[in-house]
Amino acid sequence: MDNLSIGPTGQRRRGWRQRLKTTVTAIAALAAIATAGLSTRPAQAADATKITYWFWGESDIPGIDTWMKGMVSKYQAVHADTQINVVPQSSDTLIGGFRLASQSHSGPDIDTQWATLPTLTPYWNKAAVAISDYVPATEIAQWVNASENEAGGKIVAMPIYLIGVPLVWNKDLFKKAGLDPDKAPVTWSDFLADCAALKAHGITPIGMGNSDGSFGAWMFAIYLKQELNSLDELKSAIGNTGGFSLDQFDGLLTKMYAMMADLVAKGYINSDVSSLSLTQGWQLFPQQKAAMAFTTDGNVLSWGKTLGEDKIGVAAPPIWGGGKLADTYDVTQSSDEFITSWAKNKQAAADFLVWLHQPDNMAALYTQTGAFPADKRFPTSSITDGLAKQLFALDTAKQSIWLENYIPPEVDSDADTPAGQLILSKSGTPEQAVAIWNRVIKKWRMQQIPEFIQFKKWAGGNS
Amino acid sequence: MRRHASALGQQALLILLCIVSLYPLWFILQTALKTQQDYTRNPTDLPAPFSLQSFAAVFRAMPFAQWTLNSALVALVSVAAATVIALLAAYAVAFGRFRGQTTFLSLNIALMALPPVALVVPLFTVMVQVGLINTLPSVMLVYTGLLIPFSVFFLTNFLRELPLDVIEAATIDGASHPRILLRIVLPLSLATLFTLIVVNTIWVWNELLFALVFLQNNDGRTVMAGLALFQGRYSVNEPLMMAGAFLSILPLLILYLFSQRAFVRGMTSGIGK
Amino acid sequence: MMLRRPRQLWPYLFILPALIALAGTFAYPLAAVIRFSFYAGSVGDLTYVGTMNYQGLFQDPDFLQSILNNLKLLLTVPVMTVLALLIALVLNSQVKGWRHYRAIVFLPYILPATAIGLSFSYLLSGNGVLNTLLRNHGIGFLARDWLGSAANVVPTIGSVIIWQQLGFGIVVFVAALLAVPTELVEAARIDGATGWQIQWSILVPNIRRTIEFFVIVEAITVLSSIFTYVYVLTKGGPANTSSVMEFYIFQNGFENGAIGAASAAVVVLLVLASIFIGIYLRLQARAVRVAR
Repeated sequence: MDNLSIGPTGQRRRGWRQRLKTTVTAIAALAAIATAGLSTRPAQAADATKITYWFWGESDIPGIDTWMKGMVSKYQAVHADTQINVVPQSSDTLIGGFRLASQSHSGPDIDTQWATLPTLTPYWNKAAVAISDYVPATEIAQWVNASENEAGGKIVAMPIYLIGVPLVWNKDLFKKAGLDPDKAPVTWSDFLADCAALKAHGITPIGMGNSDGSFGAWMFAIYLKQELNSLDELKSAIGNTGGFSLDQFDGLLTKMYAMMADLVAKGYINSDVSSLSLTQGWQLFPQQKAAMAFTTDGNVLSWGKTLGEDKIGVAAPPIWGGGKLADTYDVTQSSDEFITSWAKNKQAAADFLVWLHQPDNMAALYTQTGAFPADKRFPTSSITDGLAKQLFALDTAKQSIWLENYIPPEVDSDADTPAGQLILSKSGTPEQAVAIWNRVIKKWRMQQIPEFIQFKKWAGGNS
Repeated sequence: MRRHASALGQQALLILLCIVSLYPLWFILQTALKTQQDYTRNPTDLPAPFSLQSFAAVFRAMPFAQWTLNSALVALVSVAAATVIALLAAYAVAFGRFRGQTTFLSLNIALMALPPVALVVPLFTVMVQVGLINTLPSVMLVYTGLLIPFSVFFLTNFLRELPLDVIEAATIDGASHPRILLRIVLPLSLATLFTLIVVNTIWVWNELLFALVFLQNNDGRTVMAGLALFQGRYSVNEPLMMAGAFLSILPLLILYLFSQRAFVRGMTSGIGK
Repeated sequence: MMLRRPRQLWPYLFILPALIALAGTFAYPLAAVIRFSFYAGSVGDLTYVGTMNYQGLFQDPDFLQSILNNLKLLLTVPVMTVLALLIALVLNSQVKGWRHYRAIVFLPYILPATAIGLSFSYLLSGNGVLNTLLRNHGIGFLARDWLGSAANVVPTIGSVIIWQQLGFGIVVFVAALLAVPTELVEAARIDGATGWQIQWSILVPNIRRTIEFFVIVEAITVLSSIFTYVYVLTKGGPANTSSVMEFYIFQNGFENGAIGAASAAVVVLLVLASIFIGIYLRLQARAVRVAR
């Protein structure tokens, strides 16, 4: 089948030589174009302190990447010897990507993770150092919710912002369905009734995305919590420390997944929830393709700009559970910044992070994104916008817990995520979803023994 | 009449097949040429207005030029190294006579079919230990090794078809083997080498697993690893992702347009005659 | 055709660089991965645990699901073989423009699975292009959540694989069909055989060897080189229902830092792959014998 020309001389051979040359030239040209593209970037100082920063936040706070970019250029203008390279991360690879990098003790100098266990675990695994070793206590005292990342008397990471997770609804669509546009569903039966009315009018009641497992994990964070009487119940169930047992925990989970399965079965959730990521699913709300969503303060404000603030209602998620924590809200610093153990310039990294908390930088964060800075120096009087005021009032009204922060990251990614996917994609029963949790928790206890020991210590100490 | 109808049917079938084959590629291009709003409004229609902004945005949102350069460098080095090493080995297998000759060839054929994922964990630990992790040489070394079995197999098959008497004559004239390889065999092998280089370059360009695992620094990634990791980050900006995808394909398309036969010959050569 | 010459020294020098490269890239890692499969812990901190990793593997539903998915995806091989064969037969009947058609259908095969996967992830989402088209043409009942539901996701990934590999099969088969001596076809025609009879009873048996080759090459591909599709299209979701062995190895070895468990999975994969590699080696050996 091959008709190669193998004559020792002749035109064809020269033809091939020509082509070979052309190929090499083409590759060289490609390299040249790429180099040219590179040389348009600003020249870098030769002996600069280089800090690589894996940053995440855009999904919580649209616009925060731009703020961070601006902050870096502002910082570098003053500190010419420091060069900060910010790499925006995506939600679906945030935990895995950092775990992979930690195995080779390489990767970023500063990393972002979600608060509490996703942050404490790398600290226990010696991938992170405590930021309180590099920052004066007087500064840390100004940070809001710093205790979310406290272990063994040290503060591991720095918060940047606080976000609450409210329920939002589209007032126009509520009107269309004959509902009172100004009345939030407070109880679960209110909520189901609203969903039914919307559905009856051909409106998708809830628009979310779960291809990355996030919506399911959010339901866990909001609604499993509502069944608990205290955080200790969760800690002792996972840490096997006596008291609240894994079986009892399983019982609560089963109930919660049955509730989710019910929402899916009734068609109250957008039908493509399983093929959209959380961020993609959220687009349905500003596009007016869904009437309600659970989202972050940052997104509410951004949608307020798209739809008009008067078109959006916000309230705490409706209450479903019967535990003592049912009446708590869902504010968290969400993500936080910490310094890795292999960072060469830990102090320089800490200096930059602390600098972000300077009042004018925090003020810029608020004006550019609407996010509430996690800093006591931020004057709450500067919150004047109507929607932002409502959100801030929700965020500060009562005690808050974001339950997802309190499960080990491996359990989060290997149990919380797939179990929610199973239910929301109608691929399994609540019992099967709970079986995933049970198996992953037991596997984690067996395979990550040092992590498990640290978890028990932490669970005991913080109770 | 029946014949006519069947010919029409065949054409229709083939045209349908071509549409199915090309649509995903067309979708990449047309989406890349849309604005975000336009795409949201109607993902299937032609771009209106026609916009190049996503192509520009790719270079702002990601270090795309750096990724392209990395991919080109990695391809250049690993393909060149593998070609030279394999040509030497194939020459020995085709014209030499040594113990283990068939075993060596069979070994290469078996390794061609070995799952690359089997090697990724231990090679990762090695690269960590020797401090090459997060550097382009880490993937260059691994890719070179991974390309060798196929290259040896491919070149041996070709060299065995060369007229042996030419080599014999040269040997009798007292020419050394390196000299014969350079002066006689190499000029005869240009077409084959070209094919091999094309096939290997594509493999390296498209590789994801090793690039994902070995290259952790954002600026140090290859195009494919970079794109795959930015997928989640820009999932709501379809035109941007599609512009990136299109740019990553473009070099291959150009190469395919002007050397289609080499592609076909090289990529189908794992199938025996 | 090998000339009878005494054993020589120079060939060893010539294959030495290749041997070194193969030892570094294949021999050492394969030995290491077998060793790792009996250990637990992370890089530089390994503890011997006997066969615990293997026991854990076969009690892990995610691993079993991954193997099962690899096996399910092997079903794409007969499908793409039959499709490619039929199309190759059509092209071989010298329809007008067949060379152009061949060039076009081969194109998907060279494209990076990463970029293609990105494209398909938008095309196949719940309200993506495919479902929109189906709904707009009154066949909305065919629309489903291609990548988001456990029931559809593996067949969907399989379809994307077929889409990309089909052109390869067509090109291989057309080349083989062109090489079938025309006298054979002529003889059959004189005996009164009609078009499809010729195709099935003369042409197809004549390229049997090529078909066997294609099947085994694709089986190897589907077993061991589909990581990219899974990573880009689903990351194993929903609920790990679309994980394959490669993805399981990646997830456990790197994202969870369980090198031992991942290595044990590699060994299982190697055992499965060695069956196909063995067949492939035999086919190659036969091809060499035939060529001589």
